[in-house]
Amino acid sequence: MSLDFSQPQRQSAAGIIINGAYVAQHLVRAMFIPLALFIVKANKTALLYTAFGIIAVVVLAFVYGYFYYLKFTFYLNPLKQEFVIDKGIFSRKHLTIPIEKIQQVNINQGFLQKIIGVYSLQIDTAGADSKEVDIRAINGEIAQALRQHLLHGQRTPTANESDKETTVAVSTDAPLIKITAATLLKIGLTSNYGQSIALLIGFGYAVFHNIKELLKALDNDYGQVEQFVKSGFTLFSIGIVLAAIAVLLLATNVIRTFIKYFDFQLSKHSQSLLISAGLLTKKNTLLHPNKVQITEYSQNYLQKKIGLFKMSLKQAHAGREQSEKEMKNNNTEIPGCSAAEKNELLRMILGRLPKEGSTFKPNWRYLNLPIVFQVLLPVLIYGIFYYLIAEVRAYYPLAVAYFVITLILTYVGYTKHRISVSDAYIIKQSGIWDISQEIIEPHKIQSISTSQYPWHKKLDIGHVSLHTAAGSISFSYGNFTEIKTLVNYWLYQVESGDEDWM
Amino acid sequence: MQHFTNETIDLSTLPKYEETPLTHPDPKYWRVIIINLFIFLLLIAIGLGLLMLFNESVSMNWVLWTALFIVFAIFVCLISRASFKRRGFALREKDVLYKSGIIAEKTTIIPLNRIQHVALNEGMFSRMFGLGTLQIYTASGSSGEMHIAGIEIEQAKAIKEALVQRLVINTKAENE
Repeated sequence: MSLDFSQPQRQSAAGIIINGAYVAQHLVRAMFIPLALFIVKANKTALLYTAFGIIAVVVLAFVYGYFYYLKFTFYLNPLKQEFVIDKGIFSRKHLTIPIEKIQQVNINQGFLQKIIGVYSLQIDTAGADSKEVDIRAINGEIAQALRQHLLHGQRTPTANESDKETTVAVSTDAPLIKITAATLLKIGLTSNYGQSIALLIGFGYAVFHNIKELLKALDNDYGQVEQFVKSGFTLFSIGIVLAAIAVLLLATNVIRTFIKYFDFQLSKHSQSLLISAGLLTKKNTLLHPNKVQITEYSQNYLQKKIGLFKMSLKQAHAGREQSEKEMKNNNTEIPGCSAAEKNELLRMILGRLPKEGSTFKPNWRYLNLPIVFQVLLPVLIYGIFYYLIAEVRAYYPLAVAYFVITLILTYVGYTKHRISVSDAYIIKQSGIWDISQEIIEPHKIQSISTSQYPWHKKLDIGHVSLHTAAGSISFSYGNFTEIKTLVNYWLYQVESGDEDWM
Repeated sequence: MQHFTNETIDLSTLPKYEETPLTHPDPKYWRVIIINLFIFLLLIAIGLGLLMLFNESVSMNWVLWTALFIVFAIFVCLISRASFKRRGFALREKDVLYKSGIIAEKTTIIPLNRIQHVALNEGMFSRMFGLGTLQIYTASGSSGEMHIAGIEIEQAKAIKEALVQRLVINTKAENE
């Protein structure tokens, strides 16, 4: 195939449809609730006009998509080693990305794109909004070739051709990690409870709120929803409700896992890792092992029983503050792998298996603040209500259970919090249910901060945070003399070495 | 073959960051803090005054509210003074140190070869006293950056120039 990226070129012609659909989808989504209300309340003639209006909007969206397609060009400047995008209809935008700043290139395929048979290509850089660089419709072959160019152009440009040949050969290798449906089921049953609970609560609230809104709009809200919820409580015993919630939780978990990680494959691709997964939308990610800043693996009690690990490779994010979601996007997750696969991956990213060094544990005063604020204070507040309001008195077993459980959890968290330092790695262990190990190499440290409360001076207790481009790692309530020695040692390592952090 | 040594490092002989003598902010910076505090407290006082005018329960207990305000003002002043005394920075051969903190004493260290860029910020009141704030950024985002306030402007410019020079040397070395 002769693929030349040095001349400005447009997206695939299907881009007209994709762009149009993208704009139309945004417009419809923005107007969805008012529109739905309008349709419910309106009479026939108004409905007809609305239908015409919607058709007009869709047509306009596609006209916009057509012009957007005409004005969107990209090319690779081989001399300056830059990737250049020109886009915009009314306000033009000229984007230049130095190839060496590119962190990863994602090739995705959404639902509509799957039907048409095109891909979208996104470029992640350290220091730019990833949304900016999004080629929405591109032929699969061109996308792969462009990715090769973008990621391997970083090496010496002359070696480009031969490099490309070898990667094509290597890419046919068997994947390093492949997750089967059975494993996915196991993963779904054992992990990410927190996220699913949040999702369910959000969903439940949204349903409740929307039904109320709809009833209000139709002018017949007499509190039926609350009534229904209340009668629900009297009908079922709480035990059945809890069991139903647990089943629902596990079901959401399994479904979510399947949608996100179906057909998960991780393979080695010359210097990089290629990860692909997804049920409805196939997501492809290519990343360089040496750009990973923090390598994390975690395991909870259930996963320990079945020998499953969860891994997360954290890459540098932009220098400015970012939303939580965007931070998450920079983390590549491997939802489940065996101990052998975990070790193989660690060896790939870190060069060799990190071994434990000298371990440092926190002082027992680590427990003070969490116990006061998370255990004693809530119980105290309950105590006050106990005296003031007679109705809450019946719930005192719950308060006792809360006291015992949080006390135990806090203590477990304290026993798991530790840091292990060897000459090449720093491993921080933390967690209560999911016990995670975060591994960083000293040369990835960007800055270090230590802090100490005045009343801990005599006790020689202090805290330390290691800031990296992918987030911070903290060790609290340690022996401050030891911490100071460690900080001096890490500073020595960072300042005397000339290893690049990225 | 290149000259290569790999001797064991004696941790106790490493330079100690905690024993580095620190340069404290310019005494004139205390006035800037006082002005800022005054404006902050004035705004609260105005808010409280309005509340007293329009809210009966507050105007009934005006003695209590005024007393609370005065206690709060004194507390804020004392805290600011303590934190001002604690502040200090040092420029070492290979890193920058900054110590600060309102209650907890926090020391941040940025190795020079990890600095992304340096900015010099002159606030309105700081400029009146010829002071500036030196802002040092790393790739770790807001958590690892450093804002050294209350440096005399000429000195701040000199430090900035020195740091930028270092940056240029570093990037050159990287490219080679």
